[in-house]
Amino acid sequence: MGFLMLKKNKRFWQRVALQSHYDAVIIGGGLHGLATAYFLARQHGMTNVAVVEKEYIGFGGAGRNTAIVRANQRTPENIPLYREALELWPVLTEELDFNLMFNNCGNLNLMHSEAAMNAARMNVATAQFHGVESHLIDARQCKELVPALNISEDITFPIIGAMYHPPGGILRHDAVVWGLAKSASRLGVHIHQHTETTSIGVENHKIVSVDTNRGKIYTPRVLLAAGGYSAAISYAMLGIKLPISVLTIQAMVTQPLKPILDHVVSSGAYHAYANQTLKGEIATGAHMDPWPNYTTHTTAYYIKHQAEALAELLPCLRGVKFMRHWAGLADMTPDMAPILDGNDLIEGYYMDCGWGYFGFKSCAATGKYMAQFMASGQCSDILKPFALRRFAQHRLMGETAALVNYSPDN
Amino acid sequence: MSLIIRCPICGKRSAYEFRYGGEDKGPRPDEDSLTPESWCDYVHMNQCVAGIQKEWWCHRDGCGLWFTIHRDTINNLEVQHPEAQS
Ligand SMILES: Cc1cc2nc3c(=O)[nH]c(=O)nc-3n(C[C@H](O)[C@H](O)[C@H](O)COP(=O)(O)OP(=O)(O)OC[C@H]3O[C@@H](n4cnc5c(N)ncnc54)[C@H](O)[C@@H]3O)c2cc1C
Ligand SMILES: [Zn+2]
Repeated sequence: MGFLMLKKNKRFWQRVALQSHYDAVIIGGGLHGLATAYFLARQHGMTNVAVVEKEYIGFGGAGRNTAIVRANQRTPENIPLYREALELWPVLTEELDFNLMFNNCGNLNLMHSEAAMNAARMNVATAQFHGVESHLIDARQCKELVPALNISEDITFPIIGAMYHPPGGILRHDAVVWGLAKSASRLGVHIHQHTETTSIGVENHKIVSVDTNRGKIYTPRVLLAAGGYSAAISYAMLGIKLPISVLTIQAMVTQPLKPILDHVVSSGAYHAYANQTLKGEIATGAHMDPWPNYTTHTTAYYIKHQAEALAELLPCLRGVKFMRHWAGLADMTPDMAPILDGNDLIEGYYMDCGWGYFGFKSCAATGKYMAQFMASGQCSDILKPFALRRFAQHRLMGETAALVNYSPDN
Repeated sequence: MSLIIRCPICGKRSAYEFRYGGEDKGPRPDEDSLTPESWCDYVHMNQCVAGIQKEWWCHRDGCGLWFTIHRDTINNLEVQHPEAQS
């Protein structure tokens, strides 16, 4: 029956022949590639655009993330971008005519020491200054919001308070991929799945072409939006090294339960976060391998870690079974901020990568501004702080308060 | 997947006993001819090879030795003699 329905219904995006010329080629059918393609077509009338995806759209982080969104970042450079991204979800739901299942249940970022509370005070002040709702609350208020939370003194890291961010929450991550792909395709963008970029052609410091396993494409513009594979592509195809470490990051879900958790709860000390999906599963992450690799393998080590953390933070989950466990790649930068750049080293070459584990929440606004950048050649002010040159200029951003043990440098 | 690393002193141990020390980038650049770009290249930039790379490790929870190994980043296996193979 399901099979018949699938056959009857039209595909969300068209399958089309690969052309030999496009005005822009986007490498990667993930969140950032699809969002940029959508805005290029919708806001700039650039429809002769190809998204080339080596597997299927959503194969990368786009289909593996836990879909948490928030805008309470730490630095004045980052907050405006995430704020706009957060505000775009209801707008996109309408524009794409696709239910993205935005559940703005609010986020509770737990603090387990006075020092952490002080750091949170600064975060809250920065967020409020930029018009993002964020409050500091004590343990008792945490318990009122999330009755399942264990605020006793008798755990490894007792809860002292939390940074409470009411407008954040979760979405359906697949819906974002499908909604963007459907609308981009309707507007004329070509989405080529199973099309792997194998080299990038440059002449006189200008982009001229992209080679794929299905043929050569001539184009004056390329966007690198290959998620965890971006740094390897950049070095192998253009000789441009990026300040990125690629780590496998894991997440899992439990069996479905009746509603017990109506906020996203996260803890740096326990290195765990959890929320309840609309299906009832507790979705929880996120362990990162402490060394770079492209395996996307899961580990028993992490199942044990997560069970221990959840059993302390949310004791009602003791005995609940994990159902699925998966992993993806996180392309981490030293300052936990992305690389958004273009037209600098090579004319027509644009980059949107280094998103680590923040690339879901940011994709809508970033796609909008990257599209504007690619259509006009002019970088808007909101993207300027994220240029690759910041690393040589020692202008790293201070997002590292959220730092986890991901690299040799911390 | 787990990773087993061979420490030159202690032998094969779980990688969770070690601390990853980054891609091998050769010697530290000479101070005299140092530019912001060359320093940035040494400190921050990576090749992120999807394949075999030479890299630094420290046996943090063991003997404390710093040493290099070759590892395939696609399957997380230490490779003994990559030069001899290719
Ligand atoms: C377990 C996990 C949990 C996460 N949780 C969150 C979260 O809660 N909130 C949040 O904001 N972020 C989260 N993230 C991060 C988020 O998923 C990523 O930052 C985001 O997907 C990055 O988007 P992207 O478009 O850059 O890359 P991707 O979505 O990874 O897309 C890149 C695409 O490029 C394709 N590609 C690669 N090489 C080539 C090539 N040579 N030619 C053609 N195509 C190629 C890939 O197949 C892939 O489909 C999580 C990630 C993981 C893995
Ligand atoms: Zn040793």
